[in-house]
Amino acid sequence: MDVKAVMESPGLWVACSITLIVVILQSALFLRAAWREAIRLGISRQRRLAGVRAAVITAFGPALAPVIILVALITMLGAPTSWMRVNDIGAPRTEIAMVTIASEHLGVEPGSPEYDLRAFSYSHWAMALNDMGWIVVALLLTHRMAGITSSLNKKYDPRLIRYIMDGAGIGLFAYLLSGQLVPATSHKWLAALISGATMLLITKLFAKHPRMQELALGLSMLAGMLGSTALVKLI
Amino acid sequence: MDNNNQNTSGFVNWVVRAGKLTLLMGLVANFVPCLYLWLAYGVVPSIGEIFAVWGLALAAYGISWLVQPTTYFPVLGMSCSYICWYAGSVADVRLPAAMMAQRASEAEPGTPEGDVMATIGTATSVFLSVAILTLFTFIGSKAIPLLPKFIKDSFTVILPAVFAAVYVQFAQKHLKAGAGTIALGLFFYFIGRKSGVPSGLLTVLVVLTGMLVARVVFAWEKKST
Repeated sequence: MDVKAVMESPGLWVACSITLIVVILQSALFLRAAWREAIRLGISRQRRLAGVRAAVITAFGPALAPVIILVALITMLGAPTSWMRVNDIGAPRTEIAMVTIASEHLGVEPGSPEYDLRAFSYSHWAMALNDMGWIVVALLLTHRMAGITSSLNKKYDPRLIRYIMDGAGIGLFAYLLSGQLVPATSHKWLAALISGATMLLITKLFAKHPRMQELALGLSMLAGMLGSTALVKLI
Repeated sequence: MDNNNQNTSGFVNWVVRAGKLTLLMGLVANFVPCLYLWLAYGVVPSIGEIFAVWGLALAAYGISWLVQPTTYFPVLGMSCSYICWYAGSVADVRLPAAMMAQRASEAEPGTPEGDVMATIGTATSVFLSVAILTLFTFIGSKAIPLLPKFIKDSFTVILPAVFAAVYVQFAQKHLKAGAGTIALGLFFYFIGRKSGVPSGLLTVLVVLTGMLVARVVFAWEKKST
Protein backbone atom coordinates (compact mmCIF):
# COMPACT_ATOMS: atom_id res chain seq x y z
CA MET A 1 0.00 0.00 0.00
CA ASP A 2 1.45 3.35 -1.06
CA VAL A 3 1.67 5.64 1.97
CA LYS A 4 1.22 8.79 -0.16
CA ALA A 5 -2.14 7.48 -1.38
CA VAL A 6 -3.24 6.76 2.20
CA MET A 7 -2.13 10.24 3.29
CA GLU A 8 -4.52 11.84 0.79
CA SER A 9 -7.30 9.23 0.95
CA PRO A 10 -10.95 10.34 1.27
CA GLY A 11 -11.34 8.10 4.35
CA LEU A 12 -8.57 9.97 6.13
CA TRP A 13 -10.16 13.30 5.19
CA VAL A 14 -13.34 12.15 6.93
CA ALA A 15 -11.44 10.84 9.98
CA CYS A 16 -9.51 14.10 10.35
CA SER A 17 -12.55 16.30 9.85
CA ILE A 18 -14.12 15.04 13.11
CA THR A 19 -11.64 17.18 15.09
CA LEU A 20 -12.46 20.23 12.98
CA ILE A 21 -16.17 19.65 13.60
CA VAL A 22 -15.61 19.53 17.38
CA VAL A 23 -13.38 22.65 17.28
CA ILE A 24 -16.07 24.61 15.43
CA LEU A 25 -18.93 23.19 17.50
CA GLN A 26 -17.19 24.14 20.75
CA SER A 27 -16.53 27.72 19.70
CA ALA A 28 -20.06 28.08 18.31
CA LEU A 29 -21.58 26.89 21.60
CA PHE A 30 -19.36 29.15 23.70
CA LEU A 31 -19.92 32.15 21.42
CA ARG A 32 -23.69 31.76 21.60
CA ALA A 33 -23.70 31.35 25.39
CA ALA A 34 -21.30 34.27 25.94
CA TRP A 35 -23.31 36.46 23.58
CA ARG A 36 -26.50 35.79 25.57
CA GLU A 37 -24.70 36.30 28.85
CA ALA A 38 -23.29 39.61 27.55
CA ILE A 39 -26.82 40.76 26.75
CA ARG A 40 -27.97 39.72 30.22
CA LEU A 41 -25.10 41.67 31.79
CA GLY A 42 -26.22 44.74 29.86
CA ILE A 43 -23.29 45.00 27.45
CA SER A 44 -24.65 47.00 24.50
CA ARG A 45 -24.72 45.59 20.98
CA GLN A 46 -22.26 48.28 19.93
CA ARG A 47 -19.72 47.14 22.56
CA ARG A 48 -20.22 43.44 21.71
CA LEU A 49 -19.60 44.12 18.03
CA ALA A 50 -16.57 46.25 18.86
CA GLY A 51 -15.19 43.22 20.69
CA VAL A 52 -15.79 40.92 17.72
CA ARG A 53 -14.17 43.38 15.31
CA ALA A 54 -11.15 43.81 17.59
CA ALA A 55 -10.74 40.02 17.85
CA VAL A 56 -10.88 39.60 14.06
CA ILE A 57 -8.42 42.42 13.37
CA THR A 58 -6.05 41.23 16.10
CA ALA A 59 -6.15 37.54 15.24
CA PHE A 60 -5.82 37.99 11.48
CA GLY A 61 -2.03 38.34 11.29
CA PRO A 62 -1.11 35.68 13.88
CA ALA A 63 -3.69 33.26 12.41
CA LEU A 64 -2.04 33.69 9.02
CA ALA A 65 1.44 33.06 10.42
CA PRO A 66 1.33 29.22 10.49
CA VAL A 67 0.49 28.92 6.75
CA ILE A 68 4.15 28.64 5.78
CA ILE A 69 4.82 25.78 8.19
CA LEU A 70 1.45 24.29 7.13
CA VAL A 71 2.76 23.90 3.60
CA ALA A 72 5.87 22.15 4.93
CA LEU A 73 3.65 19.86 7.01
CA ILE A 74 1.49 18.99 3.98
CA THR A 75 4.51 17.77 1.97
CA MET A 76 5.48 15.59 4.94
CA LEU A 77 2.13 14.20 6.18
CA GLY A 78 -0.41 14.96 3.45
CA ALA A 79 -3.23 17.50 3.47
CA PRO A 80 -5.90 15.98 5.78
CA THR A 81 -3.50 15.23 8.65
CA SER A 82 -1.84 18.66 8.42
CA TRP A 83 -5.22 20.40 8.22
CA MET A 84 -6.38 18.65 11.39
CA ARG A 85 -3.19 19.18 13.36
CA VAL A 86 -2.72 22.90 12.68
CA ASN A 87 -6.29 23.49 13.86
CA ASP A 88 -5.99 21.82 17.25
CA ILE A 89 -3.75 22.05 20.30
CA GLY A 90 -0.05 21.47 19.72
CA ALA A 91 1.79 24.10 17.66
CA PRO A 92 2.80 22.98 14.14
CA ARG A 93 6.46 22.82 15.23
CA THR A 94 5.39 20.57 18.13
CA GLU A 95 3.59 18.23 15.72
CA ILE A 96 6.68 18.08 13.51
CA ALA A 97 8.80 17.32 16.56
CA MET A 98 6.50 14.45 17.60
CA VAL A 99 6.44 13.00 14.06
CA THR A 100 10.23 13.12 14.04
CA ILE A 101 10.51 11.55 17.50
CA ALA A 102 8.11 8.71 16.60
CA SER A 103 9.82 8.04 13.27
CA GLU A 104 13.27 8.04 14.86
CA HIS A 105 11.92 5.51 17.34
CA LEU A 106 11.35 3.27 14.28
CA GLY A 107 14.70 4.26 12.78
CA VAL A 108 13.04 6.09 9.88
CA GLU A 109 13.38 9.68 8.74
CA PRO A 110 10.15 11.60 7.99
CA GLY A 111 9.82 12.48 4.33
CA SER A 112 12.35 9.84 3.27
CA PRO A 113 11.44 6.88 0.99
CA GLU A 114 11.61 4.61 4.07
CA TYR A 115 8.76 6.54 5.68
CA ASP A 116 6.03 3.91 5.24
CA LEU A 117 2.49 3.29 6.42
CA ARG A 118 3.75 1.95 9.73
CA ALA A 119 5.76 5.14 10.37
CA PHE A 120 2.71 7.20 9.36
CA SER A 121 0.58 5.27 11.88
CA TYR A 122 3.21 5.82 14.59
CA SER A 123 3.27 9.53 13.70
CA HIS A 124 -0.49 9.76 14.14
CA TRP A 125 -0.34 8.00 17.49
CA ALA A 126 2.51 10.25 18.63
CA MET A 127 0.61 13.44 17.79
CA ALA A 128 -2.62 12.16 19.33
CA LEU A 129 -0.93 11.00 22.55
CA ASN A 130 0.92 14.30 22.85
CA ASP A 131 -2.14 16.50 22.24
CA MET A 132 -4.05 14.34 24.71
CA GLY A 133 -1.77 15.72 27.47
CA TRP A 134 -3.11 19.29 27.24
CA ILE A 135 -6.72 18.17 26.77
CA VAL A 136 -6.65 15.89 29.83
CA VAL A 137 -4.96 18.48 32.05
CA ALA A 138 -7.50 21.13 31.00
CA LEU A 139 -10.32 18.65 31.55
CA LEU A 140 -9.16 17.79 35.07
CA LEU A 141 -7.87 21.14 36.35
CA THR A 142 -9.78 24.05 34.74
CA HIS A 143 -12.84 24.05 37.01
CA ARG A 144 -10.66 23.42 40.07
CA MET A 145 -8.46 26.42 39.31
CA ALA A 146 -11.55 28.62 39.04
CA GLY A 147 -12.49 27.49 42.54
CA ILE A 148 -9.04 28.38 43.84
CA THR A 149 -9.24 31.89 42.35
CA SER A 150 -12.63 32.66 43.86
CA SER A 151 -11.64 31.38 47.30
CA LEU A 152 -8.48 33.53 47.17
CA ASN A 153 -10.66 36.54 46.36
CA LYS A 154 -12.68 35.90 49.51
CA LYS A 155 -9.62 35.40 51.68
CA TYR A 156 -7.48 38.32 50.50
CA ASP A 157 -7.93 41.83 49.14
CA PRO A 158 -9.36 41.20 45.62
CA ARG A 159 -7.25 44.14 44.41
CA LEU A 160 -4.12 42.31 45.47
CA ILE A 161 -5.28 39.11 43.74
CA ARG A 162 -5.98 41.11 40.56
CA TYR A 163 -2.48 42.61 40.79
CA ILE A 164 -0.87 39.22 41.20
CA MET A 165 -2.91 37.77 38.33
CA ASP A 166 -1.80 40.69 36.15
CA GLY A 167 1.72 39.88 37.33
CA ALA A 168 1.26 36.31 36.08
CA GLY A 169 0.27 37.69 32.67
CA ILE A 170 3.25 40.03 32.61
CA GLY A 171 5.53 37.17 33.63
CA LEU A 172 4.06 34.84 30.99
CA PHE A 173 4.60 37.31 28.16
CA ALA A 174 8.01 38.30 29.54
CA TYR A 175 8.88 34.63 29.15
CA LEU A 176 7.44 34.34 25.62
CA LEU A 177 9.08 37.58 24.51
CA SER A 178 12.44 36.63 26.04
CA GLY A 179 12.29 33.37 24.08
CA GLN A 180 12.16 35.44 20.89
CA LEU A 181 14.91 37.85 21.93
CA VAL A 182 17.48 35.34 23.24
CA PRO A 183 19.65 34.53 21.30
CA ALA A 184 19.52 38.04 19.89
CA THR A 185 19.04 38.99 16.25
CA SER A 186 18.63 42.62 15.22
CA HIS A 187 15.58 41.76 13.07
CA LYS A 188 13.67 40.31 16.04
CA TRP A 189 14.72 43.03 18.51
CA LEU A 190 13.70 45.75 16.04
CA ALA A 191 10.36 44.04 15.43
CA ALA A 192 9.71 43.84 19.18
CA LEU A 193 10.81 47.42 19.88
CA ILE A 194 8.83 48.99 17.03
CA SER A 195 5.73 46.92 17.80
CA GLY A 196 5.88 47.66 21.54
CA ALA A 197 6.50 51.36 20.96
CA THR A 198 3.59 51.58 18.49
CA MET A 199 1.31 49.92 21.03
CA LEU A 200 2.37 52.40 23.71
CA LEU A 201 1.85 55.35 21.35
CA ILE A 202 -1.61 54.22 20.24
CA THR A 203 -2.64 53.66 23.84
CA LYS A 204 -1.43 57.06 25.02
CA LEU A 205 -2.36 59.23 22.00
CA PHE A 206 -5.70 57.64 21.11
CA ALA A 207 -6.94 56.70 24.56
CA LYS A 208 -10.31 58.29 23.75
CA HIS A 209 -10.77 56.65 20.34
CA PRO A 210 -12.35 53.20 20.74
CA ARG A 211 -11.98 52.47 16.99
CA MET A 212 -8.22 52.97 17.27
CA GLN A 213 -8.13 50.58 20.23
CA GLU A 214 -9.69 47.87 18.07
CA LEU A 215 -6.86 48.30 15.59
CA ALA A 216 -4.11 48.74 18.20
CA LEU A 217 -2.58 45.28 18.21
CA GLY A 218 -2.97 44.64 14.51
CA LEU A 219 -1.31 47.97 13.65
CA SER A 220 1.50 47.52 16.19
CA MET A 221 2.28 44.10 14.79
CA LEU A 222 2.31 45.30 11.19
CA ALA A 223 4.51 48.27 12.12
CA GLY A 224 6.93 45.95 13.91
CA MET A 225 7.05 43.34 11.12
CA LEU A 226 7.31 45.69 8.15
CA GLY A 227 9.36 48.39 9.89
CA SER A 228 11.99 45.97 11.16
CA THR A 229 12.24 44.17 7.81
CA ALA A 230 12.72 47.50 6.01
CA LEU A 231 15.35 48.63 8.52
CA VAL A 232 17.25 45.35 8.30
CA LYS A 233 17.35 45.70 4.50
CA LEU A 234 18.62 49.28 4.74
CA ILE A 235 21.39 48.55 7.23
CA MET B 1 -18.51 40.77 44.44
CA ASP B 2 -20.62 38.02 45.99
CA ASN B 3 -23.69 39.37 44.23
CA ASN B 4 -21.87 39.28 40.94
CA ASN B 5 -20.81 35.71 41.53
CA GLN B 6 -24.37 34.66 42.21
CA ASN B 7 -25.67 36.50 39.17
CA THR B 8 -23.27 34.78 36.85
CA SER B 9 -23.33 31.33 38.43
CA GLY B 10 -25.77 30.09 35.75
CA PHE B 11 -23.31 30.95 33.01
CA VAL B 12 -20.34 29.64 35.02
CA ASN B 13 -22.08 26.30 35.61
CA TRP B 14 -22.92 26.06 31.93
CA VAL B 15 -19.27 26.75 31.02
CA VAL B 16 -18.00 23.91 33.23
CA ARG B 17 -20.49 21.41 31.82
CA ALA B 18 -20.07 22.46 28.19
CA GLY B 19 -16.30 22.73 28.62
CA LYS B 20 -15.95 19.22 29.98
CA LEU B 21 -18.31 17.75 27.40
CA THR B 22 -16.60 19.37 24.41
CA LEU B 23 -13.14 18.42 25.69
CA LEU B 24 -14.27 14.80 26.06
CA MET B 25 -15.58 14.85 22.51
CA GLY B 26 -12.28 16.39 21.43
CA LEU B 27 -10.36 13.67 23.20
CA VAL B 28 -12.21 11.02 21.20
CA ALA B 29 -11.90 12.94 17.90
CA ASN B 30 -8.16 13.25 18.55
CA PHE B 31 -7.74 9.47 18.12
CA VAL B 32 -10.13 8.91 15.18
CA PRO B 33 -7.38 9.01 12.48
CA CYS B 34 -5.33 6.47 14.49
CA LEU B 35 -8.32 4.17 14.66
CA TYR B 36 -9.08 4.74 10.99
CA LEU B 37 -5.57 3.66 9.96
CA TRP B 38 -6.02 0.58 12.12
CA LEU B 39 -9.47 -0.41 10.85
CA ALA B 40 -8.99 0.49 7.20
CA TYR B 41 -5.37 -0.62 6.70
CA GLY B 42 -4.65 -2.84 9.67
CA VAL B 43 -1.64 -0.80 10.82
CA VAL B 44 -1.41 -0.06 14.52
CA PRO B 45 1.41 -0.05 17.07
CA SER B 46 1.20 -2.75 19.75
CA ILE B 47 0.02 -1.70 23.24
CA GLY B 48 3.62 -1.75 24.43
CA GLU B 49 4.68 0.45 21.53
CA ILE B 50 1.83 2.88 22.20
CA PHE B 51 3.08 3.23 25.76
CA ALA B 52 6.63 3.68 24.51
CA VAL B 53 5.52 6.50 22.17
CA TRP B 54 3.49 8.05 25.00
CA GLY B 55 6.62 7.92 27.16
CA LEU B 56 8.56 9.79 24.47
CA ALA B 57 5.81 12.44 24.31
CA LEU B 58 5.77 12.67 28.11
CA ALA B 59 9.51 13.20 28.21
CA ALA B 60 9.41 15.87 25.50
CA TYR B 61 6.24 17.77 26.44
CA GLY B 62 4.94 16.43 29.78
CA ILE B 63 5.98 19.57 31.63
CA SER B 64 4.22 21.76 29.06
CA TRP B 65 0.99 19.73 29.44
CA LEU B 66 0.89 20.68 33.11
CA VAL B 67 2.60 24.08 33.14
CA GLN B 68 0.78 25.77 30.25
CA PRO B 69 -2.86 25.29 31.30
CA THR B 70 -2.02 26.26 34.90
CA THR B 71 0.20 29.29 34.24
CA TYR B 72 -2.13 30.71 31.55
CA PHE B 73 -5.20 30.29 33.74
CA PRO B 74 -4.99 33.64 35.59
CA VAL B 75 -4.98 35.42 32.23
CA LEU B 76 -7.47 33.22 30.34
CA GLY B 77 -10.09 32.50 32.97
CA MET B 78 -12.30 29.47 32.81
CA SER B 79 -14.31 29.58 29.60
CA CYS B 80 -11.35 30.69 27.47
CA SER B 81 -9.25 27.91 28.99
CA TYR B 82 -11.72 25.29 27.77
CA ILE B 83 -11.53 26.66 24.22
CA CYS B 84 -7.79 27.30 24.22
CA TRP B 85 -6.54 23.90 25.33
CA TYR B 86 -8.44 22.27 22.53
CA ALA B 87 -8.17 24.77 19.67
CA GLY B 88 -4.53 25.71 20.37
CA SER B 89 -2.52 28.77 19.23
CA VAL B 90 -3.07 30.16 22.72
CA ALA B 91 -0.29 32.72 23.18
CA ASP B 92 -0.12 34.02 19.63
CA VAL B 93 -3.79 34.10 18.56
CA ARG B 94 -6.39 33.39 21.29
CA LEU B 95 -4.98 35.52 24.09
CA PRO B 96 -4.32 38.65 22.01
CA ALA B 97 -7.83 38.35 20.51
CA ALA B 98 -9.42 37.94 23.95
CA MET B 99 -7.53 40.91 25.38
CA MET B 100 -8.35 43.23 22.51
CA ALA B 101 -12.02 42.19 22.59
CA GLN B 102 -12.08 43.25 26.25
CA ARG B 103 -10.30 46.49 25.55
CA ALA B 104 -12.41 47.49 22.53
CA SER B 105 -15.61 46.82 24.48
CA GLU B 106 -14.21 48.55 27.58
CA ALA B 107 -14.83 45.47 29.73
CA GLU B 108 -12.60 45.13 32.78
CA PRO B 109 -10.51 41.90 32.84
CA GLY B 110 -11.33 39.61 35.75
CA THR B 111 -14.98 40.75 35.98
CA PRO B 112 -17.99 38.82 34.61
CA GLU B 113 -18.16 41.41 31.78
CA GLY B 114 -14.49 40.88 31.01
CA ASP B 115 -14.90 37.11 30.98
CA VAL B 116 -17.78 37.08 28.50
CA MET B 117 -16.04 39.53 26.17
CA ALA B 118 -12.84 37.45 26.34
CA THR B 119 -14.91 34.37 25.46
CA ILE B 120 -16.50 36.19 22.51
CA GLY B 121 -13.04 37.27 21.32
CA THR B 122 -11.52 33.81 21.73
CA ALA B 123 -14.35 31.98 19.95
CA THR B 124 -14.32 34.53 17.12
CA SER B 125 -10.57 34.00 16.66
CA VAL B 126 -11.14 30.23 16.36
CA PHE B 127 -13.53 30.72 13.42
CA LEU B 128 -11.01 33.02 11.78
CA SER B 129 -8.11 30.58 12.29
CA VAL B 130 -10.07 27.62 10.94
CA ALA B 131 -11.19 29.61 7.89
CA ILE B 132 -7.68 30.83 7.07
CA LEU B 133 -5.94 27.50 7.67
CA THR B 134 -8.60 25.58 5.71
CA LEU B 135 -8.22 27.97 2.78
CA PHE B 136 -4.43 27.59 2.82
CA THR B 137 -4.62 23.80 3.14
CA PHE B 138 -6.18 23.84 -0.32
CA ILE B 139 -4.36 26.71 -2.02
CA GLY B 140 -1.29 27.12 0.20
CA SER B 141 1.29 25.21 -1.77
CA LYS B 142 0.39 27.25 -4.84
CA ALA B 143 -0.02 30.68 -3.19
CA ILE B 144 2.93 30.90 -0.78
CA PRO B 145 5.73 30.96 -3.39
CA LEU B 146 3.97 33.88 -5.10
CA LEU B 147 4.29 36.20 -2.08
CA PRO B 148 6.94 38.93 -2.38
CA LYS B 149 10.15 38.16 -0.49
CA PHE B 150 9.74 41.26 1.70
CA ILE B 151 6.42 39.93 3.04
CA LYS B 152 7.83 36.45 3.60
CA ASP B 153 10.79 37.97 5.48
CA SER B 154 8.52 40.06 7.67
CA PHE B 155 6.53 36.95 8.59
CA THR B 156 9.63 35.51 10.26
CA VAL B 157 9.36 38.16 13.01
CA ILE B 158 5.62 37.95 13.63
CA LEU B 159 6.10 36.32 17.05
CA PRO B 160 8.37 38.97 18.64
CA ALA B 161 6.03 41.64 17.20
CA VAL B 162 2.89 40.01 18.70
CA PHE B 163 4.47 39.22 22.06
CA ALA B 164 5.97 42.71 22.45
CA ALA B 165 2.64 44.42 21.70
CA VAL B 166 0.75 42.15 24.10
CA TYR B 167 3.45 42.69 26.70
CA VAL B 168 3.11 46.46 26.48
CA GLN B 169 -0.66 46.09 26.68
CA PHE B 170 -0.30 44.15 29.94
CA ALA B 171 2.52 46.20 31.39
CA GLN B 172 1.23 49.72 30.81
CA LYS B 173 -1.20 49.32 33.69
CA HIS B 174 1.76 48.41 35.91
CA LEU B 175 4.76 50.16 34.42
CA LYS B 176 7.17 49.42 37.26
CA ALA B 177 6.28 45.75 37.45
CA GLY B 178 6.44 45.54 33.66
CA ALA B 179 9.92 47.01 33.35
CA GLY B 180 11.27 44.90 36.21
CA THR B 181 9.80 41.65 34.94
CA ILE B 182 11.06 41.85 31.35
CA ALA B 183 14.57 42.65 32.59
CA LEU B 184 14.50 39.64 34.92
CA GLY B 185 12.84 37.51 32.22
CA LEU B 186 15.60 38.22 29.70
CA PHE B 187 18.22 37.59 32.36
CA PHE B 188 16.70 34.24 33.42
CA TYR B 189 16.24 33.18 29.81
CA PHE B 190 19.85 34.02 28.99
CA ILE B 191 21.17 32.13 32.02
CA GLY B 192 18.67 29.27 31.51
CA ARG B 193 19.74 28.73 27.90
CA LYS B 194 23.42 28.75 28.86
CA SER B 195 22.96 26.22 31.65
CA GLY B 196 20.34 24.07 29.89
CA VAL B 197 17.43 24.57 32.34
CA PRO B 198 14.32 22.83 30.86
CA SER B 199 11.93 25.34 29.29
CA GLY B 200 8.97 24.23 31.45
CA LEU B 201 10.90 25.12 34.58
CA LEU B 202 11.91 28.43 33.04
CA THR B 203 8.24 29.25 32.31
CA VAL B 204 7.29 28.68 35.92
CA LEU B 205 10.26 30.70 37.14
CA VAL B 206 9.50 33.76 35.00
CA VAL B 207 5.74 33.64 35.71
CA LEU B 208 6.42 33.42 39.45
CA THR B 209 8.85 36.33 39.11
CA GLY B 210 6.08 38.38 37.49
CA MET B 211 3.67 37.55 40.33
CA LEU B 212 6.28 38.31 42.96
CA VAL B 213 7.23 41.64 41.37
CA ALA B 214 3.51 42.56 41.22
CA ARG B 215 3.16 41.64 44.92
CA VAL B 216 6.11 43.89 45.84
CA VAL B 217 4.86 46.79 43.71
CA PHE B 218 1.38 46.45 45.24
CA ALA B 219 2.79 46.71 48.77
CA TRP B 220 4.94 49.63 47.72
CA GLU B 221 2.10 51.58 46.08
CA LYS B 222 -0.20 50.90 49.01
CA LYS B 223 2.38 52.38 51.34
CA SER B 224 2.91 55.49 49.25
CA THR B 225 -0.83 56.32 48.89
